[in-house]
Amino acid sequence: MAKVLVIADIKQGVLKGSTAELLSKAKAIGAETAVVAIGSNIESLTSELANAGSDTQYIADDPSLELFSAGPFASCVVDAAKQFEANMIWFGFSEGGKAVAPRVAAQLSCACATEITDVTLSGEQIEVVRPATANKVIQRIKINSDKVVAVVRAGAFEASPDITGTQNVVKLSSPAPDLKAVIKELISDASGEIDLADADIVISVGRGAKDQAGIDLVKELADDLAAGFGSSRAMVDGGLMAHNKQVGQTGKIVAPTLYMAIGISGAIQHLAGMNGSKTILAVNKDPEAPIFNVADYGIVGDLFEVVPILREEIKKLRS
Amino acid sequence: MKILTTVKKVVDVELNIHVENGAIVEDGLQYVINAWDENAVEATVQLKENNGAQTTLVTIGGPDNTDIIRRCYAMGIEDAIHIDDSSLEKADSYVYANVLQKVYEQGEYDLIITGKQAQDTDNGQTGIILAQNLDIPCVSNVVAMEVLDDQHIKVSRLGDAGTEIIELELPALVTVTDSINEPRLPAMRGIMMAKKKKINVMDLAGLGTSFEEVGGNDLKSEIAEYMTSETRQAGQKFEGDAAQITAQVVNLLATEAKVL
Repeated sequence: MAKVLVIADIKQGVLKGSTAELLSKAKAIGAETAVVAIGSNIESLTSELANAGSDTQYIADDPSLELFSAGPFASCVVDAAKQFEANMIWFGFSEGGKAVAPRVAAQLSCACATEITDVTLSGEQIEVVRPATANKVIQRIKINSDKVVAVVRAGAFEASPDITGTQNVVKLSSPAPDLKAVIKELISDASGEIDLADADIVISVGRGAKDQAGIDLVKELADDLAAGFGSSRAMVDGGLMAHNKQVGQTGKIVAPTLYMAIGISGAIQHLAGMNGSKTILAVNKDPEAPIFNVADYGIVGDLFEVVPILREEIKKLRS
Repeated sequence: MKILTTVKKVVDVELNIHVENGAIVEDGLQYVINAWDENAVEATVQLKENNGAQTTLVTIGGPDNTDIIRRCYAMGIEDAIHIDDSSLEKADSYVYANVLQKVYEQGEYDLIITGKQAQDTDNGQTGIILAQNLDIPCVSNVVAMEVLDDQHIKVSRLGDAGTEIIELELPALVTVTDSINEPRLPAMRGIMMAKKKKINVMDLAGLGTSFEEVGGNDLKSEIAEYMTSETRQAGQKFEGDAAQITAQVVNLLATEAKVL
């Protein structure tokens, strides 16, 4: 019987959607489920954690855990994994997950799989599926160790609407802080902005926007649609867009219902971050831009001309 | 300060990659230095130039890794260790980490710098597993590095909540992402000098270990098969009068794609 431990994805005190998605998948493959939640002042999330589909909630709640630190967070996960006797340990897609998962795997001496899109269990044999090589190939991987730690691709699993769980809280003792890697400061991402991972519509801006005026123009379109606002690497490197806005192979990987690539040429690394989107619209002056090879709808034109028209047409549509 | 920088030769992801009978088709593939390792090399050379660090690269792979070593030499890396053992063709992150551990233990390195992930596997595990096994502090996804003193460096990490400024006690390991720097193009002089520089090549026995010892016979996971990624097809492309085509597309997004 599979025993899946899901690491709760908590951001600014809010339980994110990936937790229910991962727990739903766990139940779908017939596993017993537990969740481990790490942070400060998170006890109030217990019933939500149960309702998300976990039958046991391991809680590590301490002021020292308010800020992310890979070492202590890994210790909490290992603690919960050992207590639960988990054979699968799943993280939702996040920088924290990617930093902690290999540590947990190394401590448990088991396989680690990053960005999985599927997992199957045939008897004792665990297999995972994941993309590789900038999304150009898919790997089916046989797990030889008796446990596996995985980071799950954003949107890979679906939350079941009738999922339930049981409240059964186990408090974890606070881990020792990492004295050799000390956080001195956290420069917060602008709060109040729509998380790219959660957004139904994501609009990203690229080099075609040129400068702040162009960015502001595209941002207005994003605001009209209450869309997440992302960026290609070029604009991030140019210092015009924040790092956390970068959609791409090493940035955010998104799979929204609608993705608009505005003034983005479509480099492989960018495509790897968004080609799982349901529908892609591209606007670019260059008819040969690679982005048109993956866009469902392509508008060849100057974004400075097209974006105002897009806003107008969308306003008309909504009225 | 002594720095060990890991460098991997990987398939060029700009090219088309085909899968046939469960395996990647080798024909037509070209190999390059992993993009994020190039960032690691640039970061290392900058620490040499600004802080007088001693620099060594380590790479695991066949004889054709020589050209990426020479490129790194041309960028300014001073020494190279090349682990060339055919048994390592089948390795996972743990095996690589174990081999790198052997290399690390034979030098007195203060800092290990790796790229965030290898662009062929996109795993991003080896560096973190190595740090865990060495019990040294580790920060991944680093976009800035500064030497504070002989024993400490300060790094900026891109986390989920924002940019974390972290002080690390050495020895430590960092993995870097592409926002950290723009790797330099080697100058002709560097390229010429690189051709004559010695490379320290050895197999696992030369490293004082064996395939068995580094876990080669005990892989924790194996790639059972490769499958083709569903490539998106190009959809409809509209050219012409901006007002007209934009209105058309918005209509299609609403009625055909049903996403608006």
